[in-house]
Amino acid sequence: MSTATESSLSSVPPNPGAAVLELQDVHRTYPGSPPVEALVGVDLRVEAGEMLAVVGPSGSGKSTLLNIMGTLDRPTRGTLLIEGTDTSKLNDRRLSGLRSARLGFVFQSFHLIETLSALDNVATGLLYRGATGRTRRKMAEVALERVGLGDRLHARPTKLSGGQRQRVAIARAIVAEPSLILADEPTGNLDTATGEGIVELLQRLNADGSTIVVITHDPDLAERLPRRVEVRDGAVLDGTVFDGTVLGGGVR
Amino acid sequence: MKDRSKLRGRDVVATSVVGLRSRRGRTVLTALGIAIGIASMVAVVGISSSSKAALLAQLDSLGTNLLQVEAATGGLSIEPLPIDAEPMIRRIDTVQDASAVIDTGFEVRRNAYDDTLVGINALGVTPEFFETLQVTTTAGRPLEEGMRSLPVVVLGEVAAVRLGIHDLEGGPTINVEGHNFAVIGILDALPLNPDLSRKVLIGDEAAVAMLAVAPNPTSVYVRIDPDLVAETRPLLAPTANPGRPAKVKVSRPSDLLEARAEVDQNLQNLLLALGGVALLVGGVGIANVMVISVLERRGEIGLRRALGATRGHIRSQFVLEAALLSGLGGVLGVLLGSGITTVYARRQDWVVDLPPTALLAGVGAALAIGMFAGLYPAAKAARLDPALAVSGGTG
Repeated sequence: MSTATESSLSSVPPNPGAAVLELQDVHRTYPGSPPVEALVGVDLRVEAGEMLAVVGPSGSGKSTLLNIMGTLDRPTRGTLLIEGTDTSKLNDRRLSGLRSARLGFVFQSFHLIETLSALDNVATGLLYRGATGRTRRKMAEVALERVGLGDRLHARPTKLSGGQRQRVAIARAIVAEPSLILADEPTGNLDTATGEGIVELLQRLNADGSTIVVITHDPDLAERLPRRVEVRDGAVLDGTVFDGTVLGGGVR
Repeated sequence: MKDRSKLRGRDVVATSVVGLRSRRGRTVLTALGIAIGIASMVAVVGISSSSKAALLAQLDSLGTNLLQVEAATGGLSIEPLPIDAEPMIRRIDTVQDASAVIDTGFEVRRNAYDDTLVGINALGVTPEFFETLQVTTTAGRPLEEGMRSLPVVVLGEVAAVRLGIHDLEGGPTINVEGHNFAVIGILDALPLNPDLSRKVLIGDEAAVAMLAVAPNPTSVYVRIDPDLVAETRPLLAPTANPGRPAKVKVSRPSDLLEARAEVDQNLQNLLLALGGVALLVGGVGIANVMVISVLERRGEIGLRRALGATRGHIRSQFVLEAALLSGLGGVLGVLLGSGITTVYARRQDWVVDLPPTALLAGVGAALAIGMFAGLYPAAKAARLDPALAVSGGTG
C-alpha cells in the first residue's frame, strides 16, 4: 500500500485524550404500548487499543447497544461520542461518512455479496470512501493477506468455508483502517474450532493496534478477552477487568 | 470534519449492475414486459412510416399535379360546365394538358339481349384523355382522333373484368342503350383515379350523336406545371365557368390517396395505445419486482449503510437499477420492433423507414419509465432502518 493512498483515505487524527467511543447516559426506548426500554442510562468508554466483550442474554439490550455504538441506531436520549465527535449533531450524510471512515463491522451472518469475489467484497469496504477501483483492490489485497486469505483473492463466497467467509468479512471491516471494529457474534455461525481461529485473528488484529468490541453471548469467548461489559435489562455492568478476573456472577 | 461519504459516478452504475447481474433470470423476464411495449410501439411507428414513405414515393411517380374540375353537386340544380370549359382552361399558361369528359349516365350491358346491369357507366372522352391522365392500354389501343364519332370503346380495367372481357380475341362488343360498340382496347390501372377504372370510354362525338347527351363536359381533367399547382388551382373555377365560378368544384385525386393514409392514423393510434398499456404494465412490473428486491436485500442494504452509504447512495442505486432494467428492455424492444418493421416492410416491397427519433425515444421512454417505477422502491430502500436491515439476516 502506498503512503499516498494511505494518507488520502485515513481520517482526521483522533482528538488527543478522547476515547475512541464514549456513551454518556444513553437511553433507547422503542415506541409501542407500553414502550420498550432497551437501554436505560448506559455509560461506557472504549479507549484506543482496547478489546472488550459485551455480553448478555438475548433481549438484554446488547444488540441495541451495538447498533447505537455503530451509529446504525440513535439514542433516544444521551450522547454518543466517536473520537470526541458528538454524533447526535450529525445528519445522515455526515453520520454515513463517519461510519465509512471510522467504523468497521463484522456480522454473525457475514453479509457478503455472493456475486462478487473475495477481493471485490473486501474492496466494497472502501466503496463509499470514494477511492478508485484500483486503490480499492490494492488495499483489499493487503487486507486479505492480513487475514490469511492471500491465496483466495478471486474465490466467490460460495466457494469458501464459513471460517473463510468470516475472514473475508473481517478483511472488509479493516480495509479502511477504522478506529473501531464492532463484531456482532462473529463466531455465532461457526463451529468451535473455526470460531477459535476467528477469535485468534481478532486478537492478533488487536495486538497490531485495532480497537475491537465483540458482542457475544458465548461466555467462553468473553472469558478470553481482557475486558468484559455485561448488559442486563438495558443497563451495563462494567467489569473493566484487565487482569482476567471473572465478573461477579454476571456472566453465564 | 473530513469524514465524507463519497461514491464515484462509475461506481454508482457498477453497483446497480451488480444487483441486476446477481438475478439474471428475473432481470430478463422483467425487462421483457418493457421490451414488448417498446417493440410494439417501434413497430407501429416504423411500419406506418415505411408505408407512408412507400405511398409518397408512389404519389411522386404518379404526379400530384393532376386536378379534376367538375360541376358542383351542391344546391338544388347542377349547373353543367360550359361547352368551352376545356379550351378555356388550356389557355392558362401553367396548364400542360386538359381533357373534357362527358358522363353519359348510361349503364353498359354485355349485349343487346342481356338485361343484367353491372354498374358500369359510359364516358364520352377525347383522345387527349389518355395523354392528360398518362394512362396506356394493356390490350389493344386507345381512342384516336379519327375515332371520336365511331362506335368503338376502350374499357376501364375493372369494367373489363365485370363485363367478362379479358382480351380482344374474337372482336368483343358491348351495348349501350341499344347501340353496339366494338372493344378496341383495355386500360391499364389508374391508381389516382380508381373511379375511371369502372367506366368504359367512347368518343365524345359518338356520345352526343348516338346517345343524345348534352355536349357539356361533366368534368375536365387538368395536368399542371408541378411547381405551380397551388398558384394555378384558384384560377380553374373562374376560367371553367366565368359566370358561376361557385358552381365549379376543383379537387385533386392524389389528396384522396393521402387522406387514406391519414385514415390509417386511427388504427395506428389504437396500436400505439396498446403499446402504451404494455409499457404501463411493464413499468408496474418493474416497480413490483424492485419492491420485492428491496425486501429480499435488506441485509445488503444494511451492510452498505454500515459501510458508509448515505440514504442518497442507496436511493440512487435502486433508481438506477430500475432504470437500467427498463433500459435493457427498451434496447431489446427497439431491436425487436426494428426487426418486425424490416421483415414486414420487405414483404410489402417497401423501403424500410425507421425514424431515428422513434428509436431513441423508445430507449429514452424505457429509461424514464424505469426511473419512475424505481422511485418508490428506492425511497423504501433508503428509508430502511439500517439497524433492522443488518439484523435482518441474523434473525
